[in-house]
Amino acid sequence: MRKLPLAAAAFVLAGTAPALAEHCPKDMLAAMENRLSADGTAVAYKTDPAKIAVGKPFSIEVVACVDAGMPMHGHGMNYTPSEKKLGPGHSKFDGMVFHMPGAWQITFDVYEGDKRRRLTEKVKIGR
Amino acid sequence: MSFPRPLRRLLWPLLAAGFFLTSAAAAADAPVSFTDDEKALILSHGPWPVKTGPDPSNRVSGDAAAIAYGKALFESPDLAIDRGRSCATCHVPELGHGDGKPLGVGRVRVDRNTMPLFNLRLNTWYGWDGKSDNLWAQSIAPILDPRELGMTPEELRPRIAETPALASPYRDIFGADVTDHDAETAMVNIAKALAAYQETLTSGRSAFDRFRDALAADDAAEIASYQAAAQRGAKLFVGRGRCDLCHFGANFTNGEFHDIGLPHFPEQGRVDKGRYGGILVLRRSRYNLLGPFNDDAGRTTAGFTRHVRLTQRNWGEFRVPSLRNVARTAPYMHDGSKATLEDVVRHYSDIPEERLHQDGEKLLRPLNLTDGEIADLVAFLRTL
Repeated sequence: MRKLPLAAAAFVLAGTAPALAEHCPKDMLAAMENRLSADGTAVAYKTDPAKIAVGKPFSIEVVACVDAGMPMHGHGMNYTPSEKKLGPGHSKFDGMVFHMPGAWQITFDVYEGDKRRRLTEKVKIGR
Repeated sequence: MSFPRPLRRLLWPLLAAGFFLTSAAAAADAPVSFTDDEKALILSHGPWPVKTGPDPSNRVSGDAAAIAYGKALFESPDLAIDRGRSCATCHVPELGHGDGKPLGVGRVRVDRNTMPLFNLRLNTWYGWDGKSDNLWAQSIAPILDPRELGMTPEELRPRIAETPALASPYRDIFGADVTDHDAETAMVNIAKALAAYQETLTSGRSAFDRFRDALAADDAAEIASYQAAAQRGAKLFVGRGRCDLCHFGANFTNGEFHDIGLPHFPEQGRVDKGRYGGILVLRRSRYNLLGPFNDDAGRTTAGFTRHVRLTQRNWGEFRVPSLRNVARTAPYMHDGSKATLEDVVRHYSDIPEERLHQDGEKLLRPLNLTDGEIADLVAFLRTL
């Protein structure tokens, strides 16, 4: 996947998850439909609406920073999601739009200090 | 019956050629079958029409009096500084609400093709560069553009006030004389009435819609009445052509912006920034959905504007137009450089990869279509 712009990756750095594992409540993880984990880092998320439609805005509630792109097409989203903090280690990202049908990849970057862990989820939309 | 030897020599090739032509014609008219995937993709381009409601950012959207007033304004030369033209001069109903010219001509020629005005309630963005996020803001642009109607808010207000046919409905619809409103408010109200009218310009059900619904209902007779060439074109459109990745859904557009390898220099030394410039204009506009003239206090439709991302990739990107009524809206592309639908399809068949941004759309590759496939795609497009 194309390297994300620094701003997109960094905007969660400050607030959300300096120590995600420490702040991430396990019941929150269990309540969400989708969970990813790697190298001791866990991310859980759900979308609203649950079924994503091409060209329609949706929100993603998650505990880490979010971006997305179409690896096969070589581009990211045309929109930068904004973060709303819901609690420690728990955020909602509005303004996601998948503007084409096909294979998308949601990228979660979780930061602890300068250290980044990246988790990705493949999502197929509308075609 | 026997033929002299020389004639026999001539006859066999003629008969063979006749057989070949008959076979080719039979193949061309042979029934077209669709896989389940192709069928699902074709069905995704409907049903039509799509139901829409009033625009929450415009308090007179859907209002019958405002629609009638908007039509009068649309056709009135009083909106032009020199009274030499109206909106309808460039958006001609008989020409799909375009002008049939490669580049629009107002008081002077502009850099882009005049976009048709159909099904505008379905848009997220307006104009080739998406500089407007709502239809009333897009309607302000040609009023103020010195190349088009060349008006200013200060000149527009007395023009409305001194024209009884325009002053009286303004009072009825907006609850005050136009002179009681400041010039900017009056201009925005005028634009909102113009938007209310343009929202009513919709395209009807097409031959494709009847075919699409027949496919959904497995109505073999109705399916067969849709010409075979258009059916083969539909297969290409959702298949090898992958046209539907951008020309998506019932309105045949994803409403977003792509670089398709066209030049973006209107003249030597001057660049058309495309979507990049559009986002810059959008962000500094007082008339965007985040601004003070949005009638929707909750800003419920402003999410796209709030989150739109500006990147270098936006240079050379232009909006994906709807393909509804496309046969009526020649010439094509943002610069009007393609005179016919065949020219458009040939562009995608032979697309110049070296012209595409390095970090741009990797999806576009030359389709290398045969002449027959080009004719089939054009036949399909003509039915939309």
